[in-house]
Amino acid sequence: MHDVTMPLFAEPPTTSSASQVVLACAMGAAGIFLLLPRPSGRKVALGTFLALAGLGVMATFMLDAFGKPEKDDVGTWLFYLFATGAVGFAGVLVAQRNPARGAIAFAFVVLNVCGLFVLLAAPFLAAASVVVYAGAIIVTFLFVLMLSHARGHSPENDRTREPLLGTLAAFAFIGLVLFGLYESRPEYPFDVSVKVIDGVGHEATAISPVPTLPLTPHDKLALEQIARKLADVADGDYTTAKQFVDATESIRVELGGVLGGIDGRYRYLPRDRSDIPPPGTWALDRARDVERKSKAVENALTRSPNDARQAVRQLREAVLLLRGSSELPARNVANLGYLLYSEHLLAVELAGTLLLVATIGAVAIAGRKAVPA
Amino acid sequence: MIGVWHYLAVAAVLFGLGLVGFLTRRNLITMFLCAELMLQGVVLNLVAFSKFHGNLSGQVFGLVVITVAACEAGMAMALFVLLYRRAKTLDASDWQGVREDQIPAAPEEAGPPMAEPAPAYPTLTPAGARPSAGEEAPARV
Repeated sequence: MHDVTMPLFAEPPTTSSASQVVLACAMGAAGIFLLLPRPSGRKVALGTFLALAGLGVMATFMLDAFGKPEKDDVGTWLFYLFATGAVGFAGVLVAQRNPARGAIAFAFVVLNVCGLFVLLAAPFLAAASVVVYAGAIIVTFLFVLMLSHARGHSPENDRTREPLLGTLAAFAFIGLVLFGLYESRPEYPFDVSVKVIDGVGHEATAISPVPTLPLTPHDKLALEQIARKLADVADGDYTTAKQFVDATESIRVELGGVLGGIDGRYRYLPRDRSDIPPPGTWALDRARDVERKSKAVENALTRSPNDARQAVRQLREAVLLLRGSSELPARNVANLGYLLYSEHLLAVELAGTLLLVATIGAVAIAGRKAVPA
Repeated sequence: MIGVWHYLAVAAVLFGLGLVGFLTRRNLITMFLCAELMLQGVVLNLVAFSKFHGNLSGQVFGLVVITVAACEAGMAMALFVLLYRRAKTLDASDWQGVREDQIPAAPEEAGPPMAEPAPAYPTLTPAGARPSAGEEAPARV
């Protein structure tokens, strides 16, 4: 059933991905270790080469483990551009001897991360990050650097503390997190082509990207509309309880139809290999979860209206997870502002109080006190 | 197709690099920039999950994290100025004296002692080329 061109002695996918993670972390750790400033002089060329090679292996791992990019997808290329920029400038910040240049490198990291924010549909957060980090924090850092300009040799810039242990610990952390992500990724090896048999008996060979679930576009559209309706119901004004119940029931009936279709298509899936769950398992799990939440809504309707609205919200989240990648509302700033001042008012107040206290504290700490005679 | 896993991996790498810097570097300002780098990784995680779950709570949390980072930066700058006034240095290792009794001091990395950089003397602007003793020579009497 498998791709017959697969080499006979190919490593099982877990081993090859794990070795990629180990290799990337080892090369990155060696590169950063060599690049860290030290009194005996650092090996810039070898360190840079190793760090870049580690970055390359890391990119290969991401392509292999989490899905290949589609060539015509601008978002994919922008993601890789911004991600490489952020990680690269972060490496410069860590290895840079001159703290002022480090601050500039950090500003570039922030700009790249802001690019990622925009890709993640968070334009307001991107703008706020640029203003706060690149605008305010970096300038403050540079002021303090100028105020405390050290003359002569400066051990704090040219020496490091426990470079080997620190680098090893941090890169072991990176490797563990990456391997954990690899283990928790949703489906099966993605570049293995699989034969999918759809409901009417047609066979198709597909390479599954992530996190696109094997749902048809029709399913996705239906789920999106259902999620929108659920959001309307959860926040809508209803004069009588019956209206609310009727609206919920009609959506649940519609949802039941979509779920039935998914279930029928993926319940009896051919198993290619025992160690790979068949494609669609994740979708099936998500669909069962949606079904459970839908039952919960039915039960909550008999209880208080608040319970029912809460259950409807949870059902909406489950539906969006089933759809794979969910849609954030348009008009990001307006929605964010509404959410901040309706649901998260306490957080806003606390953040404001924190800023005030920090301002007073900074003035109290750094202000020159009059020395009593 | 870029999924949430891609963003989580990038955030993990940013966090790890910040960790390297925070553990090994000795300049207080560089250490603090590395801590901010770790915060950037965390905010990236939050925003990625926000997109994946289809609600804005993650972005709200991200805003709160940025606020806390700003407060932290202000306080840290004030402390650095204070420490610099006391010890005339930004080296974190110079404050090892405040460690607890049983804990040994962090060893200094072996290496040649730091040489004082050569003082930079002012240089004179080089004059132009020496004029050739040609036609002008008779005029110079």
